[in-house]
Amino acid sequence: MIPKPAVSDQTMIEFKDVHKWYGDYHALRGITATIRAGEFFSLLGPSGCGKTTLLRTIAGFEGISEGVVLIDGKDVADVPANKRPTNMVFQSYAIFPHLTVAQNVGFGLRKQRLAKADLDARVAEALEMVGLKGYGARAAHALSGGQRQRVALARALILKPKVLLLDEPLSALDKKMREQMQVELIKLQRQVGITFILVTHDQEEALVMSDRIAVMFEGEIAQLSDAETLYRRPNSRRVADFIGTMNFLPAEVISETAGSIEVEAQGFGRIHVDPKQAASEAPGKSASIGFRPETLTILHEGQQATDREVGATIEEVVYYGDMTYYDVKIDGTEKPVRLSMRNVFGRPVLDIGMRTRIAWSPGALVLFR
Amino acid sequence: MRGGWFKVYALAYLVFLYAPIVLLPMFAFNDATVIAFPLNGFTTKWFSEMWVAPGLWPALKNSLIIAVSSAVIATALGIFAARASTRYKFPGKAGIMGLIMLPLVLPEIIVAVSLLVVLLGIGMPLSIFTVILGHVLMTTPFTIAILTSAFQSLDRSLEEAAYDLGETPISAFRLVILPLVMPGIISSLLISFTISLDEFIIAFFLGGTQVTLPVYIFSQFRFPQSVPVIMALGTILVALSILLLSIAEYFRRRGIAKSGGKDTGGFL
Repeated sequence: MIPKPAVSDQTMIEFKDVHKWYGDYHALRGITATIRAGEFFSLLGPSGCGKTTLLRTIAGFEGISEGVVLIDGKDVADVPANKRPTNMVFQSYAIFPHLTVAQNVGFGLRKQRLAKADLDARVAEALEMVGLKGYGARAAHALSGGQRQRVALARALILKPKVLLLDEPLSALDKKMREQMQVELIKLQRQVGITFILVTHDQEEALVMSDRIAVMFEGEIAQLSDAETLYRRPNSRRVADFIGTMNFLPAEVISETAGSIEVEAQGFGRIHVDPKQAASEAPGKSASIGFRPETLTILHEGQQATDREVGATIEEVVYYGDMTYYDVKIDGTEKPVRLSMRNVFGRPVLDIGMRTRIAWSPGALVLFR
Repeated sequence: MRGGWFKVYALAYLVFLYAPIVLLPMFAFNDATVIAFPLNGFTTKWFSEMWVAPGLWPALKNSLIIAVSSAVIATALGIFAARASTRYKFPGKAGIMGLIMLPLVLPEIIVAVSLLVVLLGIGMPLSIFTVILGHVLMTTPFTIAILTSAFQSLDRSLEEAAYDLGETPISAFRLVILPLVMPGIISSLLISFTISLDEFIIAFFLGGTQVTLPVYIFSQFRFPQSVPVIMALGTILVALSILLLSIAEYFRRRGIAKSGGKDTGGFL
């Protein structure tokens, strides 16, 4: 196992108020962010949010209309793609079909005019790194999807770039292969210590792999934080909806002081919420309280709640093997919420219509207003 | 019998299509000046007569120069046009592409007469060069059609990957784009060569005193005694065409196999 290296404070990429227009279409609307050296950074968002455009401005495939992009402290406005210290793994992998695996991997080294033996050694080393030892002589077009992906990685990493850009690299793979590659990519990133920037629309993939994630909507970064903060304390209703499942119940803000917000929440009564747990509600909506399915606990008979409890009725049961999802209606609320429980050996799965008690704590609740 | 009539139809179709071509070698080896049945016995004398026929070799030389030059020029122009139309967006693109493709549907005699008027108007003497100009005009639409499909099947990110790995636009084109569209370029060269080689109207109008092979063949039909010689020449041309098309098809298939693509028919 390779220990996780500390991400340095050194800035690798900096966006300063970056705008991109395609004619009348405003694709990037004032992106300001920094990506640190050695970081695994993800750009996450639905299709059309500008995440790929932003990645391509780093690679040099797209110019920007306004603002500044700095790579390793240097303004890259006038640096063409072939002169930038970045390499990219394309969504389609873009493996050159007329070349062998070794010729593909060694393609970027052509300019360095290495001796044949050195070139072969570097290519072999890169292939071994991605688990394709001995594949050099194969024709590139005869490879499977997962192998193409690895060739694309080796081809980019052999140049030892400062930044590796990955444009939805796993989206074409099946689920099992994807999960395996996620783990391999994380290991690889720790091994080489290069800054990885991943574009994905898959929130789970971003949570699993990234040190930090920028969630983008409509050309803007909605939230930039580490995975746990993003999941536990989304800063807006939109981010909360996009990342995982979140339940919402109507609420009303009663009073507000510097250290605490007093809220009347349906089902939970009058509670105090830490302002750090407050996020913005979707426009045009009144306040609500949100919580993740696993943050509330369905109590079994005789079990004591550690904090507080409410009564509820089970309306739907979805059994997943290791987990069961329950749609429960908390007393005093109008619509059911979804809770998830790990299936512990010896504890029966509950049935539809059963009455139950639910343990909760104010710390698990996020206020959207 | 299911599909019985279709079989009859298909057979009749093939006979209609190929019978004249089969007759060509038959009469080329027939020992008679008159082109008629019954056949009169085997001879190769028409071939040896053809070999020494006055005017044939200069006509063949002219035809080859014209066909090779117009194939190369039309294919080069086709590469630029196909690349521009598949890669860039520019105002009036549809209109411009339409205009370039227009000679494909214009009556050739109109094109030939208009060209002649223009050339005489600007005082350019008629020569091999003017025939090449006319043939480039006629064959460029074909090369664009062939090359556009070759360029269209290219993944755009292949080119970006080459830039990303340090290549300039020119070296990326040479190392990645060119090898991948090479089968298309070879088919484009062969098709435009073939079209130019047997083109008659433009060669006849714009050639001046320079005679191409089709013009030579046409002129020889005035003399009944040279008809069997023309049959011999025709036989050789058919054999060469079949050989040429087989080579083109071989390259196209090899190109597809090499890049791992699927064979979707092709032009040939």
